[in-house]
Amino acid sequence: MPQPPDFTTTLDVQLVASSQAGDMIAFEELVARHRDKIYARAFSMMRNEEDAIDLSQEAWVKAWQRLKQFQGDSSFATWMTRIVINLCLDQLRRQKRTRAESIEQLDEELGGVERQMPVVASNPTEGLERAELRKRIDKAMTQLSYEHRTVLILHEFEEMEYKQIAKVMNCSIGTVMSRLFYARRRLASLLQSLKKEQQS
Amino acid sequence: MNTELKLQALLDGALDAREIREIEAILAQDIQSAALMQELKWMKAAVAGNEAEVKLPETREFYWSKIERGIAAEAKQAAAAPAERAWWLRFIYPATGLAAMVAVMFVVSGGRTTDGADTESVPEDVNAISFRSEAEAMSVVYVADENGTFNPVGQETKNEPEADK
Repeated sequence: MPQPPDFTTTLDVQLVASSQAGDMIAFEELVARHRDKIYARAFSMMRNEEDAIDLSQEAWVKAWQRLKQFQGDSSFATWMTRIVINLCLDQLRRQKRTRAESIEQLDEELGGVERQMPVVASNPTEGLERAELRKRIDKAMTQLSYEHRTVLILHEFEEMEYKQIAKVMNCSIGTVMSRLFYARRRLASLLQSLKKEQQS
Repeated sequence: MNTELKLQALLDGALDAREIREIEAILAQDIQSAALMQELKWMKAAVAGNEAEVKLPETREFYWSKIERGIAAEAKQAAAAPAERAWWLRFIYPATGLAAMVAVMFVVSGGRTTDGADTESVPEDVNAISFRSEAEAMSVVYVADENGTFNPVGQETKNEPEADK
């Protein structure tokens, strides 16, 4: 019985080249290497395990179909992440169309809510262990609307510039800046509330 | 862009030199803006590099199996698409051929009518003419030689019963 190939020393670029030539075993290795990251990005945007699994798998199917378009301008992981982000955004837009807007969301879109929030005077994350900090940030992010959460994820985690985010989210740079500003202010307020809860 | 968004842009390194000078001047004078800037800085520092670690809750094999099925399904669909598109072509090609044949026959026959009258087709820019006699049930084609003289090159006579000959 033939032994499965050992890819431990094989670079992503080599696996991509083999995959582009139709080698599905090489592609499966790429999936294995990056599946956690792709799933994590889908989960951070969707906040739902089932949706995240489905969309991340769909992203891999799309990647296989579009492999020939991958020119290596960015890393394979970055290219894959963009695919899953686009799929998640499409899904979130579809979901948004089917659900009623909350008053808070409408206020956010109209702007001005962030100006009414008092400025947080002390650092709400000061002295926190990294694990606890991550937990609180994650919890606070679940309370943001998908538009605000996504802008924050793309800017802080994917390190995308305003212009790139505007392109991906199909909105203006001004909207990106406004959403990011609101997301940060709301996050500060939520983290302060979590700190107070912990202290009381 | 309002001052608040400019503060954020300063934090994110999205301002040019002139805008940086302007917003720094505001920060030096306005306590509220300075406090807001501090809050934004805390949040940027807190979030950066602190994304929750999430692991895929499925085994490698199970996760891959659905991707593999998805790829196979897409390939099957892509292969089926031309066949689905071709069903009407099966009718289009013979229909086109038939139409072309009818058009050729019409031209060759000189657009003859069926009212029994004899017709002659003499286009000005060609060196061949055809003659059709419905009464004689006969077609004759004349081709001009180098002198422009028309000579019959062939004739077609409909089969008729022996008694009529």
